[in-house]
Amino acid sequence: MNIIEIKDLVKIYDSTEIEVTAVNHINLNFEKGEFSAVVGPSGSGKTTFLNLLGGLDRPTAGHIMIDGIDLWSLKSRQITDFRLHNIGFVFQSYNLLPVLTAKENVEFIMHLQGWPKAEREKRARELLKAVGLGDRINSRPNKLSGGQQQRVAVARALASKPKFILADEPTANLDSHSTENLLDIMEKLNREEGITFIFSTHDARVVKKAHRVITLEDGKVLSDEKK
Amino acid sequence: MNITVIAWRNIWRNKRRTLITTASIFFGVIFAAVMSSMQEGSYSKMIDNVVKFYSGYLQIHQEDYWENKTINNTFVLTDTLLQKVHQSKEIIGISPRLESFALASSDQLTKGAVVIGIDPERENKITNTEKWIVRGRYIHHGDKGVIMGNELAGYLHLDVGDTLVLLGMGYHGVNAAGKYSITGIFKNPLPQFNKSFVYMDLNLAQDLYSAPNRITSLVLMVKDHYHMPPAKKALKSFIRSPYRLMSWDEMEPELVQMIASDRMGGKFMKAILYIVIAFGILGTVIMMFSERKRELGVMVSIGMQKTLLAGILFMETFYIGLLGVTTGILATIPITTWFYHHPIRIAGEAAKAFLDMGIEPVFAFSLMPPVFYNQALTVFILIIIITIYPVVKTFRLDISNALRT
Amino acid sequence: MLIQVSWRNIWRSRTRSLVVLTAITLGIMAGVFSTAFMKGMMDKRVETAIHTELSHIQIHDSLFRKTAELRYYMPGADVLARKIDTLPHVEGVTQRIIVQSMISSAETGAGVKIMGIRPDDEKKVTDIAQQMVEGKYFEGIKRNPVVIGQKLAHKLNVRVRSKVVITLQDMDNNLTAGAFRVAGIYKTSNTAYDESNVFVRYEDLARLTDLPAGACHEIAIRVDNDLNTVSVQQRIKKTTGSLEVMSWKEISPELSYITVVMDQYMYIFILIILLALLFGIINTMLMVILERHKEIGMLLAIGMSRTRIFLMIIIETVLLSLTGGITGIILGTLISKYFEYHYINLSMFGKGLEQLGFSSLVNTSIDPEMVVSVTIMVIFTGIIAAIYPALKAIKYDPAEALRIE
Repeated sequence: MNIIEIKDLVKIYDSTEIEVTAVNHINLNFEKGEFSAVVGPSGSGKTTFLNLLGGLDRPTAGHIMIDGIDLWSLKSRQITDFRLHNIGFVFQSYNLLPVLTAKENVEFIMHLQGWPKAEREKRARELLKAVGLGDRINSRPNKLSGGQQQRVAVARALASKPKFILADEPTANLDSHSTENLLDIMEKLNREEGITFIFSTHDARVVKKAHRVITLEDGKVLSDEKK
Repeated sequence: MNITVIAWRNIWRNKRRTLITTASIFFGVIFAAVMSSMQEGSYSKMIDNVVKFYSGYLQIHQEDYWENKTINNTFVLTDTLLQKVHQSKEIIGISPRLESFALASSDQLTKGAVVIGIDPERENKITNTEKWIVRGRYIHHGDKGVIMGNELAGYLHLDVGDTLVLLGMGYHGVNAAGKYSITGIFKNPLPQFNKSFVYMDLNLAQDLYSAPNRITSLVLMVKDHYHMPPAKKALKSFIRSPYRLMSWDEMEPELVQMIASDRMGGKFMKAILYIVIAFGILGTVIMMFSERKRELGVMVSIGMQKTLLAGILFMETFYIGLLGVTTGILATIPITTWFYHHPIRIAGEAAKAFLDMGIEPVFAFSLMPPVFYNQALTVFILIIIITIYPVVKTFRLDISNALRT
Repeated sequence: MLIQVSWRNIWRSRTRSLVVLTAITLGIMAGVFSTAFMKGMMDKRVETAIHTELSHIQIHDSLFRKTAELRYYMPGADVLARKIDTLPHVEGVTQRIIVQSMISSAETGAGVKIMGIRPDDEKKVTDIAQQMVEGKYFEGIKRNPVVIGQKLAHKLNVRVRSKVVITLQDMDNNLTAGAFRVAGIYKTSNTAYDESNVFVRYEDLARLTDLPAGACHEIAIRVDNDLNTVSVQQRIKKTTGSLEVMSWKEISPELSYITVVMDQYMYIFILIILLALLFGIINTMLMVILERHKEIGMLLAIGMSRTRIFLMIIIETVLLSLTGGITGIILGTLISKYFEYHYINLSMFGKGLEQLGFSSLVNTSIDPEMVVSVTIMVIFTGIIAAIYPALKAIKYDPAEALRIE
């Protein structure tokens, strides 16, 4: 069952003197429960593609249907709200609010969604335990390692019960041990809970673990391999 | 490429922040300068009102007169004394007076009055009394009539042409009594003069008080209160016992203190304003430093002396101050100049409150240079203090730390 | 939770926040203290005016105040006075004969207002009896005692037991005089008052002026609390027919006026301080959102609405301003509380202040309403300062903010 349907997606930047076609007529579908990687060199358009998918950038042409809803038919304010409730994000860095503890960071997104306090707390604890940080819930980001911070980001992304999680180079700043750790957790969540993960990545280790690898080149899909 | 150019360009790297900081100084300078201008202008007016109309900038009396203002402590105006007075070039006018007290009465009413015998022409040159005449006319030398304040005349129900009776005590205890025709009525901005003053020709007064040729004071005029100190200094050496020279501030200590207390209040307010603005500048300077830590680290590593760096940082702060002060003063000048020529007249309840305190209800403005350059001075001093922060931090800068930022 | 995040965000850059906080604290502290200071001065002036000079209510014949003529007395005033004394809230009633006249010593003379009073009644209305600096209040001199102000005593060069002559016009317009002896010398904080108000016994003045028995020119009334003045005045008016019954506010509107004006003046001062602080706060918050560019981008990306981001910035700014503001208010209040019980000694300006009627010993006075107003002003300043930075923050493009270099 497709949760994401991308139809003839195009993105052209004309802010500089030269017109750049970052995404050039991409057609793709994603099913629930996927653990997929979008790869390609710098300039291949994968960051742009992920931004479009996440509702962060407006396409020049084409449609992105998420669970039957045309993302860009919504107004700006509605898109923000849509992201809040339906898409989880894990970025390369700057994921967390430095002034909040791990628990509070996870609670924060539920607060935005309007969850009552008791439930927020309960779920935050559960999620942090699930990512292996049950004993660090009251630590602030500056007391956590890079890998631990990324795991909190995953817990936070899950907290909002999204339809899928977009991870943009989540392992780029991590050493091999932390990368291994992080990927294991994400894979476990994918296997046991059926959480959909879509990565954009350079990292060979991520590609190795991915169940589907989509290669982009010059804004077009070069290959789409399912393992 | 010298440090002044580098510093100047540096402050424009974050245009918004520099402009906001400059704006705060601009605002502070305008406010402080306009306030100072209004204060100094008002003080000058207060002094002028009292000094020009009554006390004069300097007075010569018989040495016991000021402690005991009795008709018995009068003196004769001699040529030698006059000569000594004219030794000082600052003196632009003199006027002899015989001042004493009398009971002024009409048919029905009586009131205490201050009687001043004057040389009408010379007095007018100094006090411009003629211009305050509202009914009738001013007196001339030889006139047998008097001019009086409008509130006194009003109280006694007298007008021009009516007769005023004066009763007092003359020289050596002789009774003083006389009937005079009212030649004119004046209205001065300050009510205290209108409530009790009666002027007559000096000879007439000397007659009334049986004190021929005697005067209580010789009033001396200079250009303005800034010119008084040198005149006083010049004359002090010549005027000695049995005479005494007094300046207006010695004769009107209340006025001096009123001004001093108001000035101090003003200083307090301006101080707070500038301190608050100074913290704002400090904040900007801190931000400017912390965001360039790496860059500063680089400069020192490639060989720039820390003193030179500190110099640049000082110049940056200085330029911001300079911008603020210059624009502030430039904006203040048209404002104060306008009000200098069009003083703010107060009306209604407020005016009555002023008059009640013996002050003319008007806000005059001053264009004296200190009003303006004091602001520049203050800001400059603050800049120097504020610069201590970036200078100290520059010298304490740990290069490897900075490069890792 | 936004409040929690905003509060913690303030402390991320401790130095920068402390600079802003210190500025706000100092500014507000100074503002609160100045306001309390001025209020204390004004309150004391009004209190002095009421308890020494005007009393709460005065009653005259309807023509007396305008003409000041002896013949506009109130016949049967003592009956009225005794009746008024029985009214609730009335603490004291005194009857006065009032004549404008001349008082003279061996040295000189002066025009003064002479009041013939009954000391026992007068003591219940004014507090002059408690402000004697020499001699006693109508004790010690058997025949024709007179009580004068210190400034007048200096002018006339007299002391206790000195002889003075009071010259006036009686009921038949004849000039008459009486010899009096100084029983006591008083000093209030209003030298203008001291200079022109002289007290003698009712009987002595009645004899001199030939006023009919039981009559007087002025009935002055002291009320237990100023809040009751109007109600007492209304009650009296019902029984006095055509007589003029005035409260001190009606007699001297300038007095309540200057209190109100001073209050406004102080609020304007605080506003100016807040305006100066505004610049610093805006700059700080602009820096804040610039530093958190990526963080805000992230928040927008994960779905935090722009409205919430806007609010977050506003809350942070208001919290920052309030922290400084409340600290300033607390410190200002503490200092003012201290000076509520200990005088600030301004005697170096004593002569000047007292000439205007202000005591040179100042107690500060905090008005709880003022504290609330200042707090509200601080909050508004925070909100206004936050608008520009908050608007910039919500314009951030999350995709662009998160782009990796």
